[in-house]
Amino acid sequence: MNPRTRRILELILDNLVWFMLLFVLAIFSIFIPNYFQLGIFANIIEASSVLGVMSIGLALVIITGHMDLSVESVTALGAMAVGILFCSAGIGLGIQLHPEWLMVPVSLLVAISVGALIGALNGVLVVKLNMSAFIITLASYIWVRGLVVAVSGGRSAQDLAPAIRWFGIQRLFGLPLTAWIAISCFVIFSLIMAKTPFGRHLVMIGGNQQATYRAGIRVTRNLIIAFVLAGAIAGLAGWLLTIRTSGATANLGVGLLFNAFAAVVIGGVSLKGGVGSLPGVYAGVLLLSSINTAINLMGLPANFTQVIHGLLVLAAVLLDTLKQTIRQRLA
Amino acid sequence: MTTPLLVLEDIRKNFGAIEALKGISFTIGKGEVVALLGDNGAGKSTLVKIISGGLEPTSGRMLFEGEEFLARSPAEAKAAGIETVYQDLSLCTNVDVVANFFMGREITRKRLGIPILDERAMERETAKALSNAGTRIPSLRTNVEHLSGGQRQAIELNRFVHWGGKLVLLDEPFAALGVEQTRRGLDMIRQVAAQGIGVVIITHIMQQAFQVADRIVVIRQGVVAGDVARSKTSPDAVVSMITGEALAGAGPAG
Repeated sequence: MNPRTRRILELILDNLVWFMLLFVLAIFSIFIPNYFQLGIFANIIEASSVLGVMSIGLALVIITGHMDLSVESVTALGAMAVGILFCSAGIGLGIQLHPEWLMVPVSLLVAISVGALIGALNGVLVVKLNMSAFIITLASYIWVRGLVVAVSGGRSAQDLAPAIRWFGIQRLFGLPLTAWIAISCFVIFSLIMAKTPFGRHLVMIGGNQQATYRAGIRVTRNLIIAFVLAGAIAGLAGWLLTIRTSGATANLGVGLLFNAFAAVVIGGVSLKGGVGSLPGVYAGVLLLSSINTAINLMGLPANFTQVIHGLLVLAAVLLDTLKQTIRQRLA
Repeated sequence: MTTPLLVLEDIRKNFGAIEALKGISFTIGKGEVVALLGDNGAGKSTLVKIISGGLEPTSGRMLFEGEEFLARSPAEAKAAGIETVYQDLSLCTNVDVVANFFMGREITRKRLGIPILDERAMERETAKALSNAGTRIPSLRTNVEHLSGGQRQAIELNRFVHWGGKLVLLDEPFAALGVEQTRRGLDMIRQVAAQGIGVVIITHIMQQAFQVADRIVVIRQGVVAGDVARSKTSPDAVVSMITGEALAGAGPAG
């Protein structure tokens, strides 16, 4: 095999999920009437912003070889905190700040700090006490959701302050600002993972934690930061979710965790750790979103969505195995 | 003689009721190559881990360059100038050769105050270090998982040669190497020692010990069973020290 074909093959393998996305979009555009519209594509991106942001945090932790099941509940808690503080109807307290724009940074800060706090708790328990991340974050997944239900009393908050809602309404190049926030998160975190020592260390910790420790990398510190980041990002996702629904309900975001998992796995992140990139995860999120849109457009009952998502995850894992085999041949 | 590089004084290590090290004392000079020999389970690897910060001794003390020294983590040992090549390789197979070579010491440039990896500089340095040592790896950008055992070990060895430091600990560094690569590895050790760096090498192969070492220290059942200059002993004498038949030409025994 000459170096050129090898390089092209590597490129395809590295970006397989993007090619899958293009392929699926092409197929849908050909066979589904009205699919091929800018509005539809904008909608796909818009609909994937909350899930996308949440998937970043999940992917970060999985790349280090750990697990964070709590992101969904943390997203809900972030959303509920913003909802209670800045919604004017239902259980919302309707706090007003002057000038009005001040509510934006304050609400953002609240959502992100709530998330970071729970992330820090997860991280410290997992790393310092050397407990299984699966169990610790499963516990957080349960108790944080419980907290959401408890503080809301099962009721909801509506009518989010207009100053905050503005981010969901104001559009730039056809996309609401919330979608741009999600996209910038992907860009920023992709750069951090690919270009900074911190990102490189996270990947290496996922590959061989013992080796990184011996090499003098501060493994404990880096892992805790990864968990804090995952929590903070989930909080941000919660902020976006409140804007999207203009309020918060106790069961907000239920089931998002499994979609995030699907996106991360489809995006090429290995659950064993050490493998995967964030652009791939974004492609995974967009892929899920474009399939949902296709199902809606075809008028299929929405119940099928879950079946298709499940099959997609299965396909992604099979594809991953296939990729490994091809790579071994390449080397 | 000037101050020795590292002095071990009565190092003991217990794992529960088991005494792995029962009072180890010896010294390593600058530019000296010490071969650490002993049967399986004699405590060689435990001793290396104590020096390199992987384990803390139960009692005893170490002097590094004349000053009291205790590494609580590999990072601390590294900061003091102690490099270690472990028996089970310490590579991250999921990243490329360059990333492994610079693991934990990446070259960065500041952009807006944020450290950014300088991949080109790191690749250049890695290529230079590997070619100096005569190691051929087709692409430095391939992930280590796709490389052979010998290539992997070569990366580790070149890494310690490149970073140098003051003391190098090698725990069976040639286990996966071929004849030619082993010869080159032994040459590398002599070169490193010639720069004034102290070297401790654990090996099972008597021939290697006699090829490279200035001094041979034998550990048996957690004590020093022999500490002799290479020129004053023979493989047969060393074997009997290891097995404990006689303490021919032995130094202080515990």
